[in-house]
Amino acid sequence: MSISEFTPAATPVGMAAMPDPPAGARLDKKRFNWSSIPLLLPALGLLALLFVGPVIYSFYLGFTNDQLLGPTSKHFNFTGSANLHRLVDDPVFHQSLYLTAFFVIGSAVVGATLVGLILAVAMQNALGVTRVVVGGLVIVCFVLPPIVVALAWYAASTAHGTYTGLFGMPNADFLQSAPLLVVSAANAWNLTGLAMILFAAALRNIPTEILESAEMENASAAQRFFKITLPLLRPTLITTILLMTLLALANFTVVYVMTAGGPGTSTMILPVYSYLQAFQYNNLAYGALIGDAMVILATILSFVYVRLSRERS
Amino acid sequence: MAVEVETRSAPVPELPPDARPVREPRVTSGRLISNLTLVAFGVLFIAPLLWLILGSFDSHASQTIEWPHFTFGNYTGAANSANLQALRNSVIISLIATVFATIPATLAGYVFSRQHIPFKGPLLLGILMLAGVPLSILIVPIYQIFAPRNYLALVPAAIFLGVTSLPFELWIIKNFIDAVPIDLEESARLERAGTLQILWRVVVPLALPGIGAAAIFGFINAWGNFLVPLVLIANASQQPSPVAMYGFFGGNVIRWGEIAAYSIMYSIPVLILYLALSRLFRRGFVLSGAIRG
Repeated sequence: MSISEFTPAATPVGMAAMPDPPAGARLDKKRFNWSSIPLLLPALGLLALLFVGPVIYSFYLGFTNDQLLGPTSKHFNFTGSANLHRLVDDPVFHQSLYLTAFFVIGSAVVGATLVGLILAVAMQNALGVTRVVVGGLVIVCFVLPPIVVALAWYAASTAHGTYTGLFGMPNADFLQSAPLLVVSAANAWNLTGLAMILFAAALRNIPTEILESAEMENASAAQRFFKITLPLLRPTLITTILLMTLLALANFTVVYVMTAGGPGTSTMILPVYSYLQAFQYNNLAYGALIGDAMVILATILSFVYVRLSRERS
Repeated sequence: MAVEVETRSAPVPELPPDARPVREPRVTSGRLISNLTLVAFGVLFIAPLLWLILGSFDSHASQTIEWPHFTFGNYTGAANSANLQALRNSVIISLIATVFATIPATLAGYVFSRQHIPFKGPLLLGILMLAGVPLSILIVPIYQIFAPRNYLALVPAAIFLGVTSLPFELWIIKNFIDAVPIDLEESARLERAGTLQILWRVVVPLALPGIGAAAIFGFINAWGNFLVPLVLIANASQQPSPVAMYGFFGGNVIRWGEIAAYSIMYSIPVLILYLALSRLFRRGFVLSGAIRG
């Protein structure tokens, strides 16, 4: 058999060996497509106008004498660092920082994350019935709208309420005597469901072989948990803690509806303080400055999280 | 050729005549502790909910949990015209917010997932960080922007509310489109379909579970929001349910039964939506057989 049998039958002699390259853009490499712009414009435009822009504007407003009503509500002036001095010397602001830290760490990190972890671990070993009922219950608590959470907890923690009765002191007013504790508990009650779901999913991903081989080497349940399970859960732990922290930091409704920052200033977390300064005490600019402090806090937290989650991966 | 295989295995020990199969004991201390822990937490968690449910059916409702004097009167009382108006406002606000969040998020999510733009990485990271910004920060500047222009009404507030859900929705949709195989789009491109056609005919139908999940998330966010309507809606008749419920509180006589009934009425749509959401998540990972081979 000669080689000519393998040449394509339709190739006339003298034709170019390769066809012309296709006209137009290369399809193998991604290039910038002009159609991206109109598709991006709604989202980026809305975000710039109603999200990013206002945050930047808020940093400007914090240094003005803007008021809610009155002479400087429409034509306000830049006042330099006057508001900043006021912030630094403001005892309520300092107290607010501590209260916010306690509230966030207490209700989110310790409360919701810890209880969510306990529940998720307990659910692994529990009867199907208990798992479904209690699990479903905790998730319903997460799903309820914040105002309902606030109202139900207000009713439960003041005199003759459910919790006061449960703990045997029906005439006590828990909300009055331990307000920060009660609102932290309410927030933890609200957020635990999410933590539980996240941990349950992560626990399911732990390969059982590791735990079984540890069991065969006579490791106790506690050893198995602390030496194997917990380290494997570390990424989920970080994600959950950060998520809970951000959600707690943003909490306005539950605290404001239950206590409005009181009694006195004992539950004056930053969001509530900012709102009250702006819309009740007429100091829009000062409220903006407090909000700026919150932005800085939230940003620091996000950076810490990115750092921590990059460490291990 | 016949092959004979001679196997030699270890000698099997003979079982003693009274041998019984070994089963894991059903009641272990670990199991007991787990169940007791769950039940204990369950009791702690259910207390306010139980009060809510029982109180809504109780004609003499108070703050304590007691066996109700059964009545539907709380529900009929709570469903007065003002409250129903508030519920209607909630629906309108949530729908507007969802539209203004989900449609831009879908369009932009497609670009972030499939197309090439400069600075895509930092832009995406920036959008994700926006999702963590607390709402309370935005309220003051937005108020200062809206107030002089007479925008303190339902529709602008709803649009703003939608935009606050936009970053997270974009993230959800973008991740979902990432998981959709690109083959269908490529074959559509080969047939010279335009980008908009590809979006509408190919991408959106395939990404519908993810888009649905994002939309539900945005709706629930808007439905439950209290601060935004409180500050940004000046007219009391345009207020949605959360603000209306807060108003119940200030009265001289707090009608716990009606508050409980209204709370349940207001919470039920959210519960239904969360059920739909969990169903979507389960179904979302099964793509129809759109791609052959």
